[in-house]
Amino acid sequence: MPETLSSKDQSLFRQVVHHFEMKQYKKGIKTADQVLRKNPKHGDTQAMKALNMSQIGQMEEAFALAKKALQNDMKSHITWHVYGLLLRQEKNYEEAIKAYRFALRLEPESQPIQRDLALLQMQMRDYQGYIRSRSAMLQARPAFRQNWTALAIAHHLAGDLAEAEKVLTTYEDTLKGAVPHVADMENSEATLYKNSIIAETGDIERALEHLEAVGYRCTDVLAVMEMKADYLLRLGRKADAEAAYTALLERNPDNSIYYNGLILAKGIAETDHKALKTLYDEWVEKNPRCDAARRIPLDFLEGDEFKQAADAYLQRMLKKGVPSLFVNIKNLYVNPAKRDVVQGLVEGYLSGEAANGSAESNGDDKHNEFLSSTYYFLAQHYNYHLSRNLSKAMENVEKAIELSPKAVEYHMTKARIWKHYGNPEKAAEEMEKARLLDEKDRHINTKAAKYALRNNDNEKALDLMSKFTRNETVGGTLGDLHEMQCTWFLTEDAEAFLRQKKLGLALKRFHSVYNIFDTWQEDQFDFHGFSLRKGMIRAYVDMIRWEDRLREHPFYTRMAIGAVKAHLLLHDQPDLVHGPIPSGVNGLDSTDENQRKKALKKAKKEQQRLEKLEADKRAARKAAAANAKSADGETKTEDPDPMGNNLVQTQDPMKDVLKFLTPLLESSPQNVEAQCLGFEVHSRRNKHLLAVKCLAAAHSIDPSNPTLHLQLLRFRQSLDSLSEPLPEPVAEVVNAEFDKLLPKSQNLEEWNESYLSANKGSVSHVHAGLSGRQLLKPESKSQCEQDLLATLDSSDITIDEAIAGLDVLDKWGSEKTAYAEKASKKWPESSVFVLN
Amino acid sequence: MVDIVPLSSYPSYIDLLPSIQTCNITNLPENYFLKYYLYHALTWPQLSFVAVVRPRTGYKTNSSGPGLAGDVSGQYPKVVGYVLAKMEEEPADGKPHGHITSLSVMRTHRRLGIAERLMRMSQRAMAESHRAHYVSLHVRMSNVAALRLYRDTLGFEVEKVEAGYYADGEDAYAMKLNLEKMWLDWKAIEKKDRENNKEEDKEGGNEDEGEEVGDLGKKDAEKMIRVKVGRGLGVGDLVEKNEAQAQ
Repeated sequence: MPETLSSKDQSLFRQVVHHFEMKQYKKGIKTADQVLRKNPKHGDTQAMKALNMSQIGQMEEAFALAKKALQNDMKSHITWHVYGLLLRQEKNYEEAIKAYRFALRLEPESQPIQRDLALLQMQMRDYQGYIRSRSAMLQARPAFRQNWTALAIAHHLAGDLAEAEKVLTTYEDTLKGAVPHVADMENSEATLYKNSIIAETGDIERALEHLEAVGYRCTDVLAVMEMKADYLLRLGRKADAEAAYTALLERNPDNSIYYNGLILAKGIAETDHKALKTLYDEWVEKNPRCDAARRIPLDFLEGDEFKQAADAYLQRMLKKGVPSLFVNIKNLYVNPAKRDVVQGLVEGYLSGEAANGSAESNGDDKHNEFLSSTYYFLAQHYNYHLSRNLSKAMENVEKAIELSPKAVEYHMTKARIWKHYGNPEKAAEEMEKARLLDEKDRHINTKAAKYALRNNDNEKALDLMSKFTRNETVGGTLGDLHEMQCTWFLTEDAEAFLRQKKLGLALKRFHSVYNIFDTWQEDQFDFHGFSLRKGMIRAYVDMIRWEDRLREHPFYTRMAIGAVKAHLLLHDQPDLVHGPIPSGVNGLDSTDENQRKKALKKAKKEQQRLEKLEADKRAARKAAAANAKSADGETKTEDPDPMGNNLVQTQDPMKDVLKFLTPLLESSPQNVEAQCLGFEVHSRRNKHLLAVKCLAAAHSIDPSNPTLHLQLLRFRQSLDSLSEPLPEPVAEVVNAEFDKLLPKSQNLEEWNESYLSANKGSVSHVHAGLSGRQLLKPESKSQCEQDLLATLDSSDITIDEAIAGLDVLDKWGSEKTAYAEKASKKWPESSVFVLN
Repeated sequence: MVDIVPLSSYPSYIDLLPSIQTCNITNLPENYFLKYYLYHALTWPQLSFVAVVRPRTGYKTNSSGPGLAGDVSGQYPKVVGYVLAKMEEEPADGKPHGHITSLSVMRTHRRLGIAERLMRMSQRAMAESHRAHYVSLHVRMSNVAALRLYRDTLGFEVEKVEAGYYADGEDAYAMKLNLEKMWLDWKAIEKKDRENNKEEDKEGGNEDEGEEVGDLGKKDAEKMIRVKVGRGLGVGDLVEKNEAQAQ
C-alpha cells in the first residue's frame, strides 16, 4: 500500500509540483527531500523528485528513483506519467507511450497526460492512437477551435480525407454564420487547410468552387492565387487559367513555373517557337529588368533564331558585366549546336574588338568591363566539361585577371581550372589567393576551405573556417560547425579523411552528419503543439510529410555513401584501425609480413602523436574558456572521443554500417551507387537474399552499370563455390532471382568479352570488363594491364577516368608506375599521378 | 537560370530548408540551426522566399496532384539565395511589423536582380498576410551593395545606427520601409461578406438580418499569444539568443 501523507506533507508535495512548473528544480528537490524524510517510500514524491532531477542533468539518478517510485506505487498516475516523461527525454518513445497509457488508464480525465500521449503518438505517426487521443480531447473541450483542427489533422494524415473535412465543417457550423473577422489568421488558415483537403480528394471542381466562395477573405493572397491557378489548369478551364497565371506573373515574373502554366493555359504547342517567343517578349517589355523572360527562349529556340536571341542576350549581359552570365546559360550546352553558337558569338566579340583597334585606344572603364567579362566568360566556357579546353581556359582567365587583378571571381575560376587539370594542390593555392582579395567575404572563405579539403588538408580547412565561426563555443571551431549543423563541411571533411584512410576521423564526421539528421527529425516534436496554437496548419502538415522523407535529401545520400565506403574499407583492411598504412607502389596485398608490421608500428606512433596534439589543443581551449557555454545556454562537455577511436575500434563494421545503409536504401532506392554498395555490404555479411535484391535493383536502374557488371560476375563465382550450400528455401529464391540477371548456363568469359566489345567506347565500362577478365582468368593479368594502359590513348578519356584506372590497378595488386608515368605525360599539369 | 519561389508554395517546398541553411552558412557569418528556420517556416510561412537553379530538364510536373505547371518539391535544386523573414513578436512601438532575419545571394549569382525580387515578394506578403505597418532590417555599414539595394532600389530609410551590432564589432544601419500602401482593403472584403450573407439569407429564407461581422474575432486576432517551443529550451529563447549573438 502506498504511504499516505499528512496534510502538512501534502501541501509540501504540492509545492514540489509548483517548483517544477516554475522551473525551480533545485528547490523542488529540496522540498521533496523534506517529504521523503518522513515518508521515505512515498511514490508520488519520489517521482516528482526524479522529474526535477532530470531537468538538471542527473538523468541516471532520476531514472533509478523513478523506477523505485513505480515499485512503491504502481497504482499512481503520477509515477507512471513521470516515468513516461523520463523515457520521452531519453527518446525511448515506444516505452514512453506505454507508460502514458498506464497513467491514463489510472486517471482517464487527466488533460496533461492525454496531451503528452497525443504529442508522442504524432511523433511516432501512430495515427489511429492520435485520432483516439484527439477525439477525447475534443470531447473534453469542444469550445477550442484548436481541438477541432487537431482532430481533422489526425484524420487527414491517417488518410481519411472525408472525415477530416467533416470535422472542419462541423466546427464552422457551430459559428452559425458569424464569420470571423478577416484579420483572424487562424480562421483564414483553417479555411485554406480545408480547401487543400478537398483538393486532395481529387475533386478539383469542388475545391475550386470552395476557394472561389471563401478565397477572397484569406490573407495568404499568393497561396490562394497559386491554388486557384493550379485548379483551373487541371480542370482545363483555359481562359480562366490564363488569367490566373497572368496575375501570378504580374506579381513575380521570375518564376518559370508560372510561364509554363500560362503556356499550357494558352494551349501553345511546344513546337510553336514563334508564339512562345512572342509571349516571352511581352513579359520582357513589361519587366525590362527581369531575367527569366529573356533567358527562357534560349531553351527552345533553334538555328538562326537561337543565334539572334543568344547574341542579344549575351551582349546585354556582358555589357552590364553580370558575373553570373555563364552559370546562367551553361545548361544550353547539352545541345552541342547551341554550345558552338555561343562559343562562336563570344569569340567573335573579341575578334571584332581586335579588328576595331586595340583595347588601349578606347580603354575606358565600361569598355574594360566588357572585355574582362568576355574573357571571364570564355574562361568558364573552356573550363566547363561540355566545352573543355583547359589551356584556352587558362589563357582567357589570365587576360581577365590582367584587366581586373582584384576580381575575386576570376581567381576562383583560375582555381577551378587547376582542379580540372588534376592538381588539387595548385587549385587550393589559387583559391587561397582569391580569398585574400576579400577576407571579409564568407563565400570565398568557404570555397577556400572546400579546396583545402579537396587537397586533403583538413587542418588548413578548419583554420580557414575558424575565421567566421564562434570559436569560444565548446569544442572550438569544430564545435560551432557542429552546432550550426554545417553539413557540407562535415561531409567534405569526412571524405577527405576517408581518402587519406584516416578512418576514425572519417567515421566521426559521418556520424556527426548522421546525428544532425536525427536532430532534424527530433526538431518537429515541439511543433505538434506549437503549430496548433499558431494555426498555420498547412505549413505544419507540409512539415510532417517532409519529415517522413527527410533522408531522401542528397545531403543524407552523399554522407551515407561515404560512411558505407569507410566501413567496407575497415572490414577489408582491419589494420587501418591504427591509422593510414602507406600502400606503396605495389598495392597493399603484396606487402610482406615484416613490412606490414613496420608500417603498423609507424601508423600507431603517428596516431599517438595526433592524440597528444588533440589533447593539448583541448587543454588550451579549456584554459581559455573555463566556463564556456554553448549557444542555447546549456553547459556542454567536450566530446570524450574526438578522434573517433571508439567508432573505428568496432568488432563488427558490417553490423555498424547498417545504421547508414538501411535508411539510404529505403530513401534512395533509385540510386545505383547505393544499391551496389548494398550488395558489397550484404555479400560480406553472407546475406545472399539481400545481396541479390540489391543486384536486381541496380540492374533495373542501369543494367550495364560497370560496378554492377563486376558484382554479377563475383556473385556468380561465389554461388558456384560456396563452402556449404545455402538453406534450401533461400537457395531457391536466390538462384531464381539471380538467374534472371546472369543465367547459370551463361559462359562467363564469353559474357564478359561481349560486355567489353559492346562498351568499348566508355572507359569505366572497359575498366569493369578488364577487371572481369582478370577475375575469370588470373593468368591474363599482364594482358589486362596492357589493355588498361591502352585506355590512356583514348582521345576522350577524362582525367577522372584515368584516376579510376589507378584504383583498378590497386585492386589487381599490380605495378602502377608505367600507368602513372604515361598518365602524367598526358596530363602534364596534374599532380594526381605522382606516386608516393 | 534562376527561379524565385515561395518557400510555402502550392505544393510546399519546405524540403528546401536544409539547402537554405547551407546557403546561409556559405555566405554569411550569422548562422542558425535548422529548427530556427523551421520556426520561421511554421510561424510565418508566407514571408520566406527562395532562389533556386532550375534543373537542366526542368521540374517534374504532376497530373494527379498539385503542380501541373511544375513542382520543385523532392527535386532538391541548388539554392542560390533566400530571404528568411518574420513578424516582430513584441514590437516596441506596438505596431505590427515585419523583420528580415536573413537575406543572401551566392556570389556566383549576383547582379541578376535576385535579392530585389526576394525582398519585394516578402514585403508584399508582410503587408497582405500580416498587415505589417513596415519592414525593418539591419545592414552592415560597410556593405555598400546591400545598402544600395535597400535604399536606392527598394526605398528603405535609415532609422538609426546601432553601434557594435555585429559579433565582430561592426556597426549596423537599422533601416525601415513603410508597407501600408500594400494592405488589403478590409472594407471591400467586409462588404463582400455582407453581400454573401444577404444572398445566403435570401436562399435560406432566414429572417436574421446578419449582424455586423466586422468586429467579431478582431480581439482574437490582436491578442498576441506568447508560446514557447525549443530544443530543450524554446524557440523563444532561440530568438533572444540570436539577438544576443548579434550584439
